[in-house]
Parts: sequence; C-alpha cells; structure tokens
Amino acid sequence: MTTITLNGQSVTVTSEPDTPLLWVLREEFDLKGAKYGCGIAQCGACTVHVGGQAVRSCVIAIGDLDGQSVTTIESFDGQHAVQKAWIDAQVPQCGFCQPGQIMSAAALLTENAAPSDEDIDAAMAGNICRCGTYPRIRAAIKAAAKA
Amino acid sequence: MNKPMIDRRAFLATTGAFTLSFAVPARAQQTGAPAAPWTAYLTIDADGKVAMLSPTTEMGQGTHTAHAAIIADEIGVPLSWVSVDTALPSDPFRRGGAMGSGGSAGVRAWWGALRSVGANARASLIAAAAGKAGVPAAEITLDEGRFLRAGKPLAVTLGEAATLAAGKPVVEGTPKDPASYRYVGKATPRVDVPAKVRGEPVFSQDFTRPGMVYACAVLSPVFGGDADSWDDKATLAVKGVEQVVKIPGGAAVVAKSQWSAMKGAAQLKVRWKSTAIDGLSSDAISAAMHRGLGKDAEAIVGKVEGDTAAALAGAARTFEADYEAPYLAHAPMEPWSITVEPTADGGLEIWGPFQTQDRNRNTAARTAGIDPSKVTLHTLMLGGGYGRRLGDDGTPAAVVTALAVKKPVQFFWRREDEIGQGWYRPAQVARLKAGVDASGKVTALHIRTAGPSMRDSFAPGGLKQGELDGSSVQTLTDTRYRTGAYRVDWVRVDQAVPMAPWRAVGATQNGYFMEAFVDELAAFLKKDPVALRRELLAHDPRALKVIDEAAKAGDWGKPLKKGHARGFAYVESYGSLCAQVVAISLEDGGVVKIHKAICVLDCARVVTPDGARNQVEGGMIQGLSTALFEGIEISGGRATNTNFDGYRILRMNESPHAVETVFIENGETIGGVGEPPVPPATPALVNALFALTGKPIRKLPISATLAE
Repeated sequence: MTTITLNGQSVTVTSEPDTPLLWVLREEFDLKGAKYGCGIAQCGACTVHVGGQAVRSCVIAIGDLDGQSVTTIESFDGQHAVQKAWIDAQVPQCGFCQPGQIMSAAALLTENAAPSDEDIDAAMAGNICRCGTYPRIRAAIKAAAKA
Repeated sequence: MNKPMIDRRAFLATTGAFTLSFAVPARAQQTGAPAAPWTAYLTIDADGKVAMLSPTTEMGQGTHTAHAAIIADEIGVPLSWVSVDTALPSDPFRRGGAMGSGGSAGVRAWWGALRSVGANARASLIAAAAGKAGVPAAEITLDEGRFLRAGKPLAVTLGEAATLAAGKPVVEGTPKDPASYRYVGKATPRVDVPAKVRGEPVFSQDFTRPGMVYACAVLSPVFGGDADSWDDKATLAVKGVEQVVKIPGGAAVVAKSQWSAMKGAAQLKVRWKSTAIDGLSSDAISAAMHRGLGKDAEAIVGKVEGDTAAALAGAARTFEADYEAPYLAHAPMEPWSITVEPTADGGLEIWGPFQTQDRNRNTAARTAGIDPSKVTLHTLMLGGGYGRRLGDDGTPAAVVTALAVKKPVQFFWRREDEIGQGWYRPAQVARLKAGVDASGKVTALHIRTAGPSMRDSFAPGGLKQGELDGSSVQTLTDTRYRTGAYRVDWVRVDQAVPMAPWRAVGATQNGYFMEAFVDELAAFLKKDPVALRRELLAHDPRALKVIDEAAKAGDWGKPLKKGHARGFAYVESYGSLCAQVVAISLEDGGVVKIHKAICVLDCARVVTPDGARNQVEGGMIQGLSTALFEGIEISGGRATNTNFDGYRILRMNESPHAVETVFIENGETIGGVGEPPVPPATPALVNALFALTGKPIRKLPISATLAE
C-alpha cells in the first residue's frame, strides 16, 4: 500500500503500484484537472507538484511516491496568484493544457520569485499549448511575480 | 461551465418568455456551394434573463462571448444577464442539411443578424414597458437592464416587460451606433476563462456516466488498414480488462478504468492485414506530386486572366521556382474520445467534442442501423479543434464497442492515434513562373499546384475527376495582386492519406507558395519585397494600407543588428486582409530565434478586441510552429512521427515573446479572425531566413531544409 499526502491530506492509494500518478489522481481520487495529453512526458498537460516540484504525472508510478506530498490544481481553488494573473491576462483559449501550465508556473514562482525570460523558458518549455497562448503565459507569470 | 446542449423545444417552452427567432443569412463560401440560412432563438424570461440558442460551438475561440456582448449591447442589459447555448441538432440549426462550426464564421456571419434581433427585442420590450407605465415609448431607453425616462427608472422590470411583450407582435427596432456599445469593441473578459483557470471544465476525457467502462482503440497504423487477428492473452490478464472487441480498423480493449484499458492495449499483439499502401512513403508521395506539376493535360483551371503562355513567351526575363508543403496534423492537446450509451429504447446517447454534430449523429445511426432521431448527441467543450473535430472517423468504432458491451463506454484514442490516424492538412507542391518586361514590371504569372484532393478525402465522392478542389488553389484564385496575365491551375494527385480542413485550410500552403515566391521574385528583380508587393497592389488602397501599416509596425527598412533579418508576408483569407513581419536571427546549430512578430489584420470590425487579439497571437504562433517544425513523415504506409517527441510543436522557449497586433477597422464587410492570422506567418518566417542567408526555403518544414 502506498500512502501519500494529497492536497494536504494523508491518503492510502489502492491502485496497482505501477499505475502512473496521473491515472491515480483522475480515476481513484476523481481529480481531473490534470490531463492525459501524450503519455510520454512530452506535453505537460498532466503536470502536478510532487514535493513542490512540477512533474509529469503520466510517467511516475504511484508505487515510487510512498510518503511524498502531491499537489494538484484543485487545491488552488482559484485563489493562487498565478490563477488570478491568468484571468487578468485572459490566457486560455481551449483551456485543455492550462492546468498543467499553471502548475508549472506556480512551481517556478515558488522557487524563483522574479524569473527572467530565460528562467521562464526553462521552466515552461515542457508544457505545449497548441492554441499558442505562450505570450500571455509569459506575461501572466511576470504579473504574478510582481503581485 | 460545460453546459449541456439544449433541446430547442425545451428552450422555447419557458412559460411567459418573450421569444424571437431569427435567421442568419447564407454568405458566399470560399469553397463549395452557398448554403441555406441558420436559425437562432432569443428569449427574455420573466426573471429578465436573456438567453440565446444557436448552432455555434465554443471551442476556445470566444464566439459565445462575442455573441453575448452584441446581444447585451443592442438590448441594453448587463453582459452577465446574457447566456449563449449550443442547440442539440435539429432542422432550424442546420444548413446544407448539417449543423457545424467553421470558416471563421462565428462572428462575421452573425454580426448583422444579432444586432437586428437585439434591436427588435429592445424596441418590443420598451413598447411593453411604456404601455404598462402609460408613457410614450419614444421617451424610454433601456440601459443596463433598466427602463429610463428622462434619466429616471420606470417601475417596470425587464422580466415584466418580457412577459407583456410575449403576447404581442414584435416591434421593429433600429440597431444602435456601434460607437455607443459598452461590451463590443471593449476589453470584455471571456465567459469561459475563470473555470478553465481552475481546471474545472469537463472535457470529453473527464466525462463520466454511471456504470461506464473505458475502451482503448488499437488501430491499424497503416492508413485504412484493419486487423487480421490478434493474441489477447496478455491483455486479458491485465487487472481491470473485461474484453477485446473487434472494431472497424482494429480492436478495442475494454476495461474498468482508462489506465487498465491503455495497459491492456499495450499488451495486445495484433497481426494486421496487408494493404495496397504498405509501401507508401513521403518520398514517393513527394515524387508523384512533383511529376504532377509537369502534366499540362491534366491541369484543372482555377482562374485565367489573359494569355499567360503567350505573355511568358514574350517576357524579357522569366523566373521560376517549385515549392513543397507537407501533411500537417492538427494535434489538438486533447486526444479524441467520445462516450456512447445504448438507451433502453434501442437508441444511443452520445457525448463528445464535435464540430459537426449532424455528421457524427448520422454516422452513429448508420453504424447502429437505427434512425438518426434515436441518437441524442451532446457537444462537450473541445480541447482544441483547428478542424480535426470536423470529422467522424472514430465514431463508428465507438458505437460498435458500445453495442458490443451493452453499457456506457468512453471510447478513446491514445496520442499516437490522434496524430497517426490522419485527416491531415494536405501535402501539396507548386510551380510558380513569372514573366517581367524590360523595365522589371511583372507581366505574367502562372501558378500550378499539384496534390491530393482534400475535399474528396474529407467527404468521399465529393469531387469528381476533372473538377476543381477549391482548397487546392484557395487564396490564389482571388488574390488582389495584379501581375498582368494570370493563370492558376491544379493537377490532382490523390493518395490514400486521409485529410480534413486544417485551420485556414488551403490558405496555409498556398499562402506560403505565393509569398515565398514574391520575395524570391523581388530578389531576382533587385527590388525590396515590400516595394514589389506595393507595385502589385498599387490599384488597391485597402490592401496598400494593410501593407503599409505592417511595414511601419515592423520597422521595415530600419537598420538591423548583424545576423538579424526581417521577413514580410501578406495573405487574404476568410474576408480579412493580413500582413505580418517577423524579425529573426540564426543561432548556433541552425536554431531560428524569433525576436519580433507583428500582425496587421484588416477584418473591418473587431467585436471582442482582446479575444480577437488572442486568436491572432495563437494563429500566428501556430503558423510559425508549422513553418519551423511540422510535417507528417510517412513510411510503410503509416505516419512515423505520432507523438510530440517526433511531431514537434513550437514551445515556450521557441515562441516570440509577444505578437504585436494591429487591427484595421473600416466600413467594409466584417471579416474572420480565427483563421486569417495563420497563413502569413509561415512565409514571413521563410522570407526572413531568405533575407538572412540568401538561400530560399522551398520545402517545409524549415528545420528539415536547414538540416540538409
């Protein structure tokens, strides 16, 4: 049995240990903000935090996460500075990749309160947006850093 | 947030509501025959809630926000009082027998009709309110939901007026001067953004039904292939897997969870039937298209002005170049899925990300052998479309699976199917030959394109041999450039690779051909590329203004740092004129860095400026992405780059930091916004590289050409 802290609460996971975290979140805990986009850690739609770091949950087996702390977009409740900046900048189009984008941005700002353009490139290069909202994501991250 | 589609009868049955139905007239299509009008409905209920029911699908392009803004402004109510819903497919919402969204029509086709119906609603409500208050209607205004007379509110609510108006004939109103609008033309926030930022919307993969199982498709990697047999021992041993079902094109692994289904699918050992295209490759397709360029006898004429052959023969000098564009995947971030539930009466209830509701409904009914009236089809929010959701190619297999397991099934593709199953933007080649006189004036231009018919692939049998597929010459047949004698023709070279409209459709490849050629021709003539375009457009003040605004915004002609260059392109599509400038440098290892991206769009009128700006930014970035990296590679009859490790899409670190957008508004007919910013981006980038290196980019994507 794997036990993790999920959005601040200790939970016991019953999924098979080789199940990737993404499907544990979506299918066992009904947390569907993180999305399946590629299954090979290339698109970032599945991004959540493990121990405060942005990770691609589609390739991390739950069995390897015993004792770890997992945070998903549902815990932000719309109140996170990044989410507020996202609304101000009217970032989303289709919206499918945006939970992953927001989780990557939030982890970046926790680590680096005033990221440069290069820092933003490095932190966000793993999250694809097919609608092409990158300029707004960049602007929103900078605005959230100042908030 | 993710509102279900609404049944028209139920919508109209609201007791006491004031209801107007209105038609959105047909307009000329870029390809295909003109269509019948759409119908939509507007109601104002006893609580003062304003609701519109229409056939348009919201897929992130902001159409519903724009519609709500126009209605709120015309009636004179707060935007928050207005809701816009998508109707379940039924006759009033169909045109050409089908309901769907596309062609950048969401706002431009609706603008006039929404203003009129809003004006009529306002006039009718004011008449009712004035009647109740016993005052002249001419003295009443409707402002932010309140009836005012000389600045003072009447003791009549909007809902009361609606109830009174419901029994009376509609009063004709006059649309307001758009200058007085509060929401249209202003920074009106999109209604769908807050929930998207919280991760709340229910996309198709998030949707569930009680007792639902998941079915992972295992599809022939060869286009149009099918399974011969399979070994499912390992699959059935996976915990949660229930069964393997034969579906058109392969098998479906049915399981209790999505993950179990995927895990089981990975274990399925399928032997595929051999097909006639098992040896098909990108090289063979390319060679066939290039051979097509020489087949004069097979060329189907798109446009002829004057005698191009004679003008080229008599030209002082000629310049010729061939270009090639690859198949492109739409690659929406959401891999396709739909949920199908067999109903107790022998029908089907279906939920999914549809751009063409009727096509999918009819296909589902045909597959199940039932009447379409027994299929209820709901549209969920689309996790990206760009044309990919115009199809119905996954629907038969989903219906077959649901009928086999006799319970609700979420049938889904993995990413590899989303990219690998086709329905691409067509690959196409072109040969352009220009003649110039002794003074360097262009006197003739012959453009020949060659490639498969997208229309016939998207709707099989839709194009007879010898007929023109408009998309294969789109934007070339109606260019504003004047080149003296002008001829456009197309040689059909079909392939068994499925295709569909891709955002801006034929304008993407043809815009590249024309605009890359104009820059090469300018270099041949030792002219500035913008100056040559101004020559070709000298007769057209509207187009010249777009060119000049882009040149100004893009600092055209100003000094550049060493190793930097600018590129320019101009393409008109979907009723809008669009010119773009990109500034680039070439970094170590041949990496193209985009420093500036400028877009000037003359769409005549902008309804929701910030939403439109977002469409421009995203459209230009999508065009830059295709130019740099994208192209389906085919070998052994199948796509070989079917995930984001092989089918590369522009990322944050490769994107311009900003797209500077300039809108031009004027009294012309309102144009599209969602598609027109895409086509110029590719040639603008290509032209910047040509300016920088002196080597033209005649084959896309750029990354492949630079690597050679």
